[in-house]
Amino acid sequence: MECIITIEIGTGAIRVTAFDMNGNLIGSSKGSYPTFHARPSFSEQDPEQIFITMLYKLKNFLNEEIHPKKYNVVCICFSSAMHSVLPIDKSGVPLGNAIVWSDNRAKKEADELKNSKLGKELYNATGTPIHAMSPLNKITWLRENDKDRFAATRKFLSIKTYIIQQLTGEYVVDHSVASATGMLNIYTLQWEDNALRHAGINKEELADIVPVSYSQQKLKKEYQTSLGLNDKVKIIVGSSDGCMATLGAGVWGDGKATVTIEESGAIRVIGKEVVQDEKQRLFNYVLSEGNYVSGGPTNNAGSAFEWYVTQFGDFKEAFDVEDCMENLINDASKVSVGSDGLIFLPYLQGERAPIWNANARGAYFGLNIKHQQRHFIRATIEGIIYAFYSIGKTLEDHRTIKSLSANGTFASYPFWLQIMADIFNKPVYIKQNSGPDSVACGGYLLSATELGMYKNLEEAAQKTKLTDGFHPKQQHHSIYQKHFAIFESLSTKLFDEFEAIAELQRNN
Amino acid sequence: MNQYFIKKECKELDAFPHIIEFASKKIGTIQFDSLKKVRSDYFRFYYVIDGRFDWIIDDQHHILYPGDLAVILPGQSFGGEKDLLDIGAISWLHLELQQMERSGKMTMGKWSSLADHECKGISKILLLNNCTIVSQVKQAGVLLQNMQTEFINQEIGYTARVNHFIDDLFILVARQLTRQNNSRRDFPQTFLKLEQSLRENLSHQWTLEEMAALVGLGTTAFSEKVKNYTGFSPLNYLINIRISEAIKFLKRGDVHVTNIALEVGFYSSQHFATTFKKLTGYTPSDFRKKNILEPE
Repeated sequence: MECIITIEIGTGAIRVTAFDMNGNLIGSSKGSYPTFHARPSFSEQDPEQIFITMLYKLKNFLNEEIHPKKYNVVCICFSSAMHSVLPIDKSGVPLGNAIVWSDNRAKKEADELKNSKLGKELYNATGTPIHAMSPLNKITWLRENDKDRFAATRKFLSIKTYIIQQLTGEYVVDHSVASATGMLNIYTLQWEDNALRHAGINKEELADIVPVSYSQQKLKKEYQTSLGLNDKVKIIVGSSDGCMATLGAGVWGDGKATVTIEESGAIRVIGKEVVQDEKQRLFNYVLSEGNYVSGGPTNNAGSAFEWYVTQFGDFKEAFDVEDCMENLINDASKVSVGSDGLIFLPYLQGERAPIWNANARGAYFGLNIKHQQRHFIRATIEGIIYAFYSIGKTLEDHRTIKSLSANGTFASYPFWLQIMADIFNKPVYIKQNSGPDSVACGGYLLSATELGMYKNLEEAAQKTKLTDGFHPKQQHHSIYQKHFAIFESLSTKLFDEFEAIAELQRNN
Repeated sequence: MNQYFIKKECKELDAFPHIIEFASKKIGTIQFDSLKKVRSDYFRFYYVIDGRFDWIIDDQHHILYPGDLAVILPGQSFGGEKDLLDIGAISWLHLELQQMERSGKMTMGKWSSLADHECKGISKILLLNNCTIVSQVKQAGVLLQNMQTEFINQEIGYTARVNHFIDDLFILVARQLTRQNNSRRDFPQTFLKLEQSLRENLSHQWTLEEMAALVGLGTTAFSEKVKNYTGFSPLNYLINIRISEAIKFLKRGDVHVTNIALEVGFYSSQHFATTFKKLTGYTPSDFRKKNILEPE
């Protein structure tokens, strides 16, 4: 029996998943690693700990689930979070920790570039919004603020590039992850000279660009031995987790969009064309040659709700978050649609799409003497989904969206999905059988296509079957529309106050 | 609580060589030099029954209110901000422990029924928390009051009971400190703090009990939470950190393998080599050789 393994290098954890050749789940295993914040705006991870966590989990998983069942591993396909930067020296040794997507140190560099003519050109050429998350701005920051490290750097890698290099010896970056660096021309699939010049680096300081299906590399002998794998196992470089999740959610073709609701979230569509947004509000990443994933990210999805639960939930036992969450959601369901006029702005960690305002902050608006705690719970969830809706509306300036396919941890709550259907006035589907997550499924589909089981990714995407999902109720949608109008207007109207309060908080 | 004062030479303390001083006191008038700042080798507890006290503990200024308990470790200095006792009521206990080191090694003495590993856990908490005030522990007041009653009445079994109360006081302080410093709601945050402690003391031979105690959970609940959150048992997670740190040393190229092993918490280079090889397929020195590229 043959099997396919996917390895997801996520924001806080690695996940190893195995599928049989028909795409049925064999098993999966996860291992987490910490994010360090040496300063409030810094978010870093230790590349060696990520590597060891990956190796540990992969090895145990193979020994417990795969080898005893006599599965023969055909390929291992990677995916990872976007926007990471890891400088390495001339001996290939990391110079400190990797800077991850949520790191905000390059805010000033990003703001300056964004409002310039070059910024607009780079956004159009690279598809990556000009933001602190973008490796382009992170490298610029290093050049200006960490001169020794910048000078000692031989290459700037992504975390995935480093992990794969440890296993195989090659420095490669796929089109997908490269397209989220702000330095890849998404039309020519080559590094964009203007971007490199702005960052002050040259091509040799970046990894070699390869297609997401690239598999011309082998595990080092030592790892073949210790993992019990032979040199025939294909190592597929894979894509970014966002692109994988979109593919794995079965979204392909007109009118379909995916909504990912994890700690942060995003709405995405797949298309042959790049979305051209005058106001630079949307991203265009490369899924594979000629296929673009376009959409917008939010900073405050599950994380905003988890914040609420942690602060105000009724904890019967220490750290029992899940139970607590269920009880809160249960309470919220007793409140009427629109939370009787209580509106939550979920911008606890600033916001990306569509307002792209790092200074934005949270607020409850419209409080009156009759509001109870459960109104806050419902308003919190509704506010999070209004934020998704505002991204969806922006996307709809360019694409028609007829239905949504939801995935991610919080997509397992029917209550959330019904609110989503009502706010968007569109049906929301989820994958049949709760099974493996969409990122892993995307990895399977990409692998299966590379192995010749599907003609192309478009055909592969049809393999994902969606359930008959949650359907919008018209009268709910009209109520939400009235509330959303206030939400949308507050989100921009408070611009000056957001800036003032953020400044106060920075000085605390 | 009435005025009460006994110290080492008093016959009440014959059966308690570890108790240096025990007292409860009402202060009605200010007296100069009634509480001068003194460093001592004793373990000192000061509990506020009534009033407001300005104290300097280990060079830090603290204000204590009724129900608060100051815990002063051996070697730390303690005294009134103005070298005097403010008006109010307090009780205190000075103890001489058999052993108390900065490394975390603490031995109570034969009188205590706390197990060795429990003492280790408690001392780790006391040393790492660096927070010498336990606020709102009325229970500590009750324990001290009960001790006084036992001293006065000397009913049958009173030595055992006094010693139990002292053990209780240590347990109470340890548990209260972890609750005070860890949210019981936010496991990721709590775990990150534990992670930091592990990294800062990586060469220490951490036990499951110590780690669980720092988080304020029992070992079973702790293991389960860590496994759920990280995908690893606590000890395997620790090995992960040890190996990751070892890899960084190996790649630096200038530290001897034996030193790396001890530095990151393996008890011998043999133990390091076996664990390393089992996980990576390389011996540490081979890994070093094959994973640093020749500069071009």
